[in-house]
Amino acid sequence: MIPKITIFKPIVSSFSMLMKMNIKFRTGFIILSILVALACISFLAPPSSTYWYSYPRNMPPSFENIDVLLGTTANGRSVFWAFTHAIKNSLIIGIITALVSSHIGLMLGIIAGLKGGAIDKVLMFITDSIIVIPPFIIYMIVIMTLKQYISALGNPIPFIGLIFSITGWCWPARQVRAIMLSLREREFVLISILSGNSITHIMIKEAMPHLLAWHLTNLTNAILYGISMEAGLAVLGLSILDKDTLGTMIYWVLYYSALFRGLWWWYITPILGAIMVFAAFFLISQGISEYINPRLR
Amino acid sequence: MVSKALLRFIAIRTLTLILTIFVAFSFTFILLRAMPVSAVENIIGSFLVTGGVTDPQALIELRKTLYEVFGLTGSPIQQYINYLKRFLTMDFGPSIMSFPTPARELVFSRLPWTISLLAFSTLLSWILGNVLGVLASMYRRKKISKILVSLSLTLYPIPYYIMALLLIFIFCYLVPIFPLVGGFGEISFTDIGSIIRDWLYKSTLPALSIILISMFGWWFLSSYALTLNVQTEDYVQYATLRGLPEPHILKNYLLKNVLLPQITTLGLSLGGIFGGALLTEIIFAYPGVGMIVYRAVMTGDYPTALTVLSLSIIGVAVATYILDLVYPFIDPRVKYR
Repeated sequence: MIPKITIFKPIVSSFSMLMKMNIKFRTGFIILSILVALACISFLAPPSSTYWYSYPRNMPPSFENIDVLLGTTANGRSVFWAFTHAIKNSLIIGIITALVSSHIGLMLGIIAGLKGGAIDKVLMFITDSIIVIPPFIIYMIVIMTLKQYISALGNPIPFIGLIFSITGWCWPARQVRAIMLSLREREFVLISILSGNSITHIMIKEAMPHLLAWHLTNLTNAILYGISMEAGLAVLGLSILDKDTLGTMIYWVLYYSALFRGLWWWYITPILGAIMVFAAFFLISQGISEYINPRLR
Repeated sequence: MVSKALLRFIAIRTLTLILTIFVAFSFTFILLRAMPVSAVENIIGSFLVTGGVTDPQALIELRKTLYEVFGLTGSPIQQYINYLKRFLTMDFGPSIMSFPTPARELVFSRLPWTISLLAFSTLLSWILGNVLGVLASMYRRKKISKILVSLSLTLYPIPYYIMALLLIFIFCYLVPIFPLVGGFGEISFTDIGSIIRDWLYKSTLPALSIILISMFGWWFLSSYALTLNVQTEDYVQYATLRGLPEPHILKNYLLKNVLLPQITTLGLSLGGIFGGALLTEIIFAYPGVGMIVYRAVMTGDYPTALTVLSLSIIGVAVATYILDLVYPFIDPRVKYR
């Protein structure tokens, strides 16, 4: 038990430190908490909330009860419940994409940049071969091919996140490598290499402090990449349309041209949701990099 | 400057370029063939529905001819070699969705629209975004930079297509000064004045929707973060303490370090413009390449989809190739190896 506590203690203490000292981190964390709370509320949704025409259509927001808090859609669904489902599913897609793709990218980028030579060549060859294919068209084709198999699964949402990880790791890898190439020529890395330190040691001790801010930015970007890719596919009607995500909500908004019919409560909700998701993650990553690099404060 | 090592580097890099394009093309080909849409069966189906062909024997002949025309006969490996040969000339045969027109002609007639739109908006947003990002980061305690940062934070997560719809809503519906549908047909090179007027009329809104978001979103935020990082490096602090004039620090210490990663990203985005801006083009009904490739993928039109994808692959691959060759000249810390 004792080693566990020593591992978690610095994390807990720096978290409480951040919450106390950093406005950006605090704001971001509060927004994220609201979003996560909304996502959790979705588990309390009545079963009827996933069906069409279970509520009166086109109702503006009112405080009568929680179902019509944000009004209803043109296909008779509660915007509030749809929104909570959408936040949950979009967050799952984004977080899975980010966890898988940006970590693979970070590892491969550091290894390629540090080792150089044949390893670098092979890794970058694979990366380049994938990067040159336009991702959106590839996802269009992949989703069209796999949709029937994915839809048959009980919960297709995590698999969409995995699909975006197929090529999502390439950008972080290339960027991390570019930074590593520059970093490798600096004295402290050279000294570390010449001192005979192992590659893991160099990766964690020498490279990571310089890459951490970049990695956190990459994480937030990857979350957004996943969410916006899914939304883009959804707008074309290629996503899993019977599951609520921020993208499929926008798809139905467009399908019923809510924009031109003045159903403002319906189209503002997913847009605001997307802005909140992004702002939360960006503010958190800003706060963390300010904490790591005290001169930024 | 031209040493043996440099020549060797260029030779290896050129070989990698060719291999990259080859592998990417093969990957695309396999993916396209895995798609559950068969264009030939679609055509046959439409013939059957309209009652154009009723004789079963003629139908079998027709199917055979169509498969031959589109290079879909023989074993998958033979087909692959066949397409590889066609790749060298970029001639993938006739398009399936608009039948007798060769896919190459179809795509090339739409290329000027896409290239002009995307090259213009990418370059403009890159320049503006970087200038604003560096300035906002240098004077980050001022009110205006705080406003800019919050503005970009709000604009970046708005997807392109939402911005596009809002722009259409404002400028076509509330204040109707722009057309609800984009341009059609090809650019004819007869009267320069009318071409420019035409282009501005049709491209302003799509360009605006791209510039607003990519300028204030990605370019601004990334150059802001990069400048912030560089500013805290020891040599910049030392330069400030030495009392060097601010323009000097900006030019010699900040800009060089900030622009390096940004140039990489710019090169890649410029290489990627051949793929078109799919969603933006569809929403504005802009007659570009993205629109064509969307329709091609949906109807299973391999020749057209492959033409666009190959062009895009070549564009990005050549862009990275040039970047890799030029990088050591811009960044003296990087050596050829």
